[in-house]
Amino acid sequence: MPANPAAAEATGPDLAAAYFDQLCERFEQAAAAVHGVDPVTNTKSRPAGAGTLDLGMAGLPVRLRYAGDALRANLLSPFEHLAAGFAGDPVLTISAFDTASSGIEPPTSLWEPIEAAPGTNPVVRLGSERACVLAAAGSRALTAAEPGAGEAVFHLPDASAIPASERAGPIREALQLLMAARGRLMTHAGAVGRDGRGVLLVGRGGSGKSTLALSCALAGMEIVGDDYVLLEPDSLTAHAMQSTAKLSEDSAERLAVPSAAIDPAGFAPTLEGPAKALVDIPTLASDTLKRQLEIRAIVAPTLRASRGGTIATADGLDENGPSMRPISAAEGLRAVAPSTIVQSGFGGGRSLAALADLVRRVPSYALDLSPDPAANAAAVDHLVAELG
Amino acid sequence: MPEHFRIGPGIVHETVDGEVIAIDLDNGSYYSLAGSGPLVWELLAQGASETELREALEARFGGVETIAEDIAALIQQLRENGLVIEAEPAEGAVVVAPASGEGEAYEAPRFERYTDMKDYFLLDPIHEVDTAGWPRPAA
Repeated sequence: MPANPAAAEATGPDLAAAYFDQLCERFEQAAAAVHGVDPVTNTKSRPAGAGTLDLGMAGLPVRLRYAGDALRANLLSPFEHLAAGFAGDPVLTISAFDTASSGIEPPTSLWEPIEAAPGTNPVVRLGSERACVLAAAGSRALTAAEPGAGEAVFHLPDASAIPASERAGPIREALQLLMAARGRLMTHAGAVGRDGRGVLLVGRGGSGKSTLALSCALAGMEIVGDDYVLLEPDSLTAHAMQSTAKLSEDSAERLAVPSAAIDPAGFAPTLEGPAKALVDIPTLASDTLKRQLEIRAIVAPTLRASRGGTIATADGLDENGPSMRPISAAEGLRAVAPSTIVQSGFGGGRSLAALADLVRRVPSYALDLSPDPAANAAAVDHLVAELG
Repeated sequence: MPEHFRIGPGIVHETVDGEVIAIDLDNGSYYSLAGSGPLVWELLAQGASETELREALEARFGGVETIAEDIAALIQQLRENGLVIEAEPAEGAVVVAPASGEGEAYEAPRFERYTDMKDYFLLDPIHEVDTAGWPRPAA
């Protein structure tokens, strides 16, 4: 990165890159302040490795750097299940700091401040060929990335008061941008299976994905995510990110989730509707959380049976039991693509092409959900067994 | 009436199983085109004029009286939703009607619009910042 960000502006108006460079510098200052590294002599008062969490994520060596233990405990701990040592340099590096821990502010924002109405999280986005800056007005999360270089910086005002939406998808934008540059598509889907092979659970928020994914985990199936996975389109592999799932109070009751598995922060309002809490998957169903699954089919859970002659309960569940039925590839694409694409922000055309390729290669199904979570999980389990 | 069109800005699309799925990245609406809709879409994207489209479909499905009316109605829906916009005739564009299938029956274009992604946009609107408005000091 250029030592003097002003130089970048002088050679061209790449303001996103200039801001990224400035935020990188602020991270180094924050790390120095928190971990006692002298930026001049670069000597450390803590052992080497302090402030880093090395992961194997989506088959890549990823290094998370943090300035302050509060960030690791409150934001990054859901990635610890992917901890893995690696030789050499990481392919992706994400550096996170907060002002409360370090006293370091991010660079002055050069955009007009945006008012965030309650329950909304408008995002300011500045992109260039080299870099991208995303500033969320609601959660006040700031992400700057240089995807080609595999580097991103993340900032929050206070690591001891992280908004629920950010904790539910820690450093999601940074991961999305960096992973996309390495051919991994952050897909709005859960993934469950057996023996390394499974299905993507797709559908917009509120469609029942998380409840179904956790029902499957409780039935002893393997799970790599309830809401977002990293999809490698060529190998049809879904990779895990964080070890937490997001569940509404109603679903937590239905699944009899023990309180030990529910995040102490409890149920908090979400942007998309009912209050949800974070659920720790390993505590809920030990040994079910896996790093990856090879995807053999797409399953779209539906709350309202669309077939004639069935009885749907008031909440849209089919009293006749779950029913798995094949749907067309186009219907599968309609279930998985829009919410993945509209939330990705960048590279929409390429993402849609990758998902279209997916639905051409594996069959799609709709699952009319029943009120019995175990029966729904059994229907998915049966499909996974059938697909081999 | 304009004669030539191109796919609108911010629209991404794929054809799967004879159905076009198009997503408007600017507002989250998404669309499905079926029946003869994907054929019309393909020819429009190639730069076919409305007249050329009509001729191509009439040659392929001869004897169907509603073709002109169906095409006009579909183009109107596509334009109203920003899926296609008016364009200059593409230079050197050659319109080739896809090969005719023997005994292939004509199906009127089917157009569906889905707006269930709207919430994502209302809740998390994205404000693009560009260099023209930069730098604007924060208050």
